[in-house]
Amino acid sequence: MPEQVTYVPAHGAFALWGAETAGRRVTCRLAVPQGDRVVPADVEVSLVEPEALPGTTASARAWREAVRLVEEGAGDDAFAELAEHMPPAAHAILNAEETAISSAAALLDRYRRAAAARAKLGAINAELRPYQVDGVAWLHSVPGGGVLADEMGLGKTLQAICLLATRDGPHLVVCPTSLVGNWRRELARFAPDTPVLTHHGPNRELPLPVPPRTVVITSYSVLRSDDELGAVDWDTVVLDEAQQVKNPDTRASKAAARLSARRRVAMTGTPVENRLDELWAIMSLTNPGLLGTRARFRQRFGTPVEQRRSATAAARLTALITPHVLRRTKSEVATDLPPKVYSTIACTLTGEQATLYRDAVDRAFTDGFGSGFQRRGRVLALLTALKQICNHPAQYRPDDLPLTGRSGKFDRATEMLTEIVEDNDRALVFTQYRAMGELLARHLGDQLGGPVPFLHGGLAATQRDELVRAFQHDDDAPPVLLLSLRAAGFGLNLTRAGHVMHYDRWWNPAVEEQATDRAHRIGQTRPLTVHTLVTGGTVEDHIAHLHENKRALADAVTGAETALADLTDDQLHEVLDLGALS
Amino acid sequence: MTQPEFGATPWGRAWVRAVESTAVTRPNPLLPKARSLARNNAVTDLHTEPGRITATVSGHTVHIGLPLWTQAPRGVVADHTGDLPDELADALAVAVPLAEQHTHCGCTARTPHCAHVLATLYTLAQRVDERPVLAVTLRYPLTAPIDPDWIPLEAIDVATFYGD
Repeated sequence: MPEQVTYVPAHGAFALWGAETAGRRVTCRLAVPQGDRVVPADVEVSLVEPEALPGTTASARAWREAVRLVEEGAGDDAFAELAEHMPPAAHAILNAEETAISSAAALLDRYRRAAAARAKLGAINAELRPYQVDGVAWLHSVPGGGVLADEMGLGKTLQAICLLATRDGPHLVVCPTSLVGNWRRELARFAPDTPVLTHHGPNRELPLPVPPRTVVITSYSVLRSDDELGAVDWDTVVLDEAQQVKNPDTRASKAAARLSARRRVAMTGTPVENRLDELWAIMSLTNPGLLGTRARFRQRFGTPVEQRRSATAAARLTALITPHVLRRTKSEVATDLPPKVYSTIACTLTGEQATLYRDAVDRAFTDGFGSGFQRRGRVLALLTALKQICNHPAQYRPDDLPLTGRSGKFDRATEMLTEIVEDNDRALVFTQYRAMGELLARHLGDQLGGPVPFLHGGLAATQRDELVRAFQHDDDAPPVLLLSLRAAGFGLNLTRAGHVMHYDRWWNPAVEEQATDRAHRIGQTRPLTVHTLVTGGTVEDHIAHLHENKRALADAVTGAETALADLTDDQLHEVLDLGALS
Repeated sequence: MTQPEFGATPWGRAWVRAVESTAVTRPNPLLPKARSLARNNAVTDLHTEPGRITATVSGHTVHIGLPLWTQAPRGVVADHTGDLPDELADALAVAVPLAEQHTHCGCTARTPHCAHVLATLYTLAQRVDERPVLAVTLRYPLTAPIDPDWIPLEAIDVATFYGD
């Protein structure tokens, strides 16, 4: 049979099927003839771009014509006429219950809208990977909204920014406090023309009406307390780290439910379909009414699926949610990814950290640095203090207070590692400080429900070997391993980790790269995600800028600390000043 | 909050009541066995169509025939999930009393409502809990509302599927 073409909105691409074809291979559910009936089936397809469409069959010619009409900016009449002549094969996309296929007119309409959205991506200052383009098209076309649940490291934030920057707004992004700074930066980087307002901190004030096209970034804690967010008529609301609203009884969830928006998107890296209460809670925000009331949902789906493993209820639930949940894993999109995916996460300084940071800088400059050898020593001491404050106030000045809520980086690291573990993946976390490693080990042990070991230079060689062996070979070994950056230099092989996290920055990127390569080996099939945490506006940011300029020549970069000591007081102050940072 | 294992909604509960009605006057020793079969997934291949239920229970083929309604129930419009308002459940009398069912089971028991038939009905009650509109379509073939954006599979002509 010659090749057929069907537009698949879920992939934002054309599926070429029925013959051996080249391109990105995926399996789609399509309607196909079987005997004298048309039935749903798994079909192996290749996803191709519009310019790669063949002209061999009626379905292929129909979509070629559709592409041409879109390029010409043709009117509704032309599309209506084309719809008349499309064979069912061209629009064999199944509904959720797999009882019907899309009409030609409805599918053409979705294609037109996705193409229009794609045309606007020129405003985005980034080269999108193919699966990310699919994701943006999906975000634009999914009716009402949905849950973007891509695995961590695949660029959910970038995809959401592409949606926001190509719609008229105003938009609202709600995220954990630890991520407010990251959103601000990513928006400035990828969509520099989009106005952004950070609605966070004690002096916040929301201008009403919110200026058009503006993206307002706020935190779940502000959402809980500020009623005026509910008074705005938002175009799109994005709920990042949507696990934060997995309990519908909390004030944050109730406030999120009151937001008025034309499109709602929840983002989470945790697969939502495994915990039905949480699935209901999140989808009741993105797609109100889709799953019925909470009590009814429990009767009809929660109890049957979770308590008696009902296949019929599970299948029906899957059919209901599938159009509204997009989840890709690293393995699924591996062909689109380089072997190592680098991701820098800008974290927010807490009030406590900002105060300590400013005090340390002020005191150092008041005391003076002296000159020569003494100056070098004092600058180094200050840098160390600042890095400790960025890590956690309790590393700078040990205390017995609770650790949560005091360091943006610490909270963000905890959230990310929790997600990685819930995803059944493994992570290596590097820090250059023994004290920090111990704080993390204690805290993560509590949060992840099991001991989190710390491999550092103080351990005997046999203990270190055992930690490495267990991580690499034992199925029940702790999924997170903390390592001191220096101790990790020696030929360790930790390739089971899908994620590497650099908790603090080393002056020399080559040292970090060497640590990263503990988890990466040539020939490894699964991409490795390398997360680097940076506290925005601080000395860590300065180091990050140094690294960006130096990663290319990774060897033989030395003495950045020395370089800082050689700066004048004014120059040094410029580097270390928190400035207008709130 | 625990829910009844069978009959979590009024729609499924109507069927559970029909099954257990005889036990009101004297205990039916087959009911615990039937529940146990249903609970342990002994009921497989449960199929329903208007007026008819078939299933395989522990290797025995079960057929149950139900009287159809003579006219369409008024005001019944299922939502996109196959749910119906609970208020309708009592008004419609969706379940069929055992005495009005025509049953057949491949086992050797002489009662028309052997444990296999009863287990099928318990499993049916669970299916109805999951999808209340099933309780209605068992008694009257409802036509789904027509949505111009979707074409039912059975309305597609195989001969012209590929166009040329």
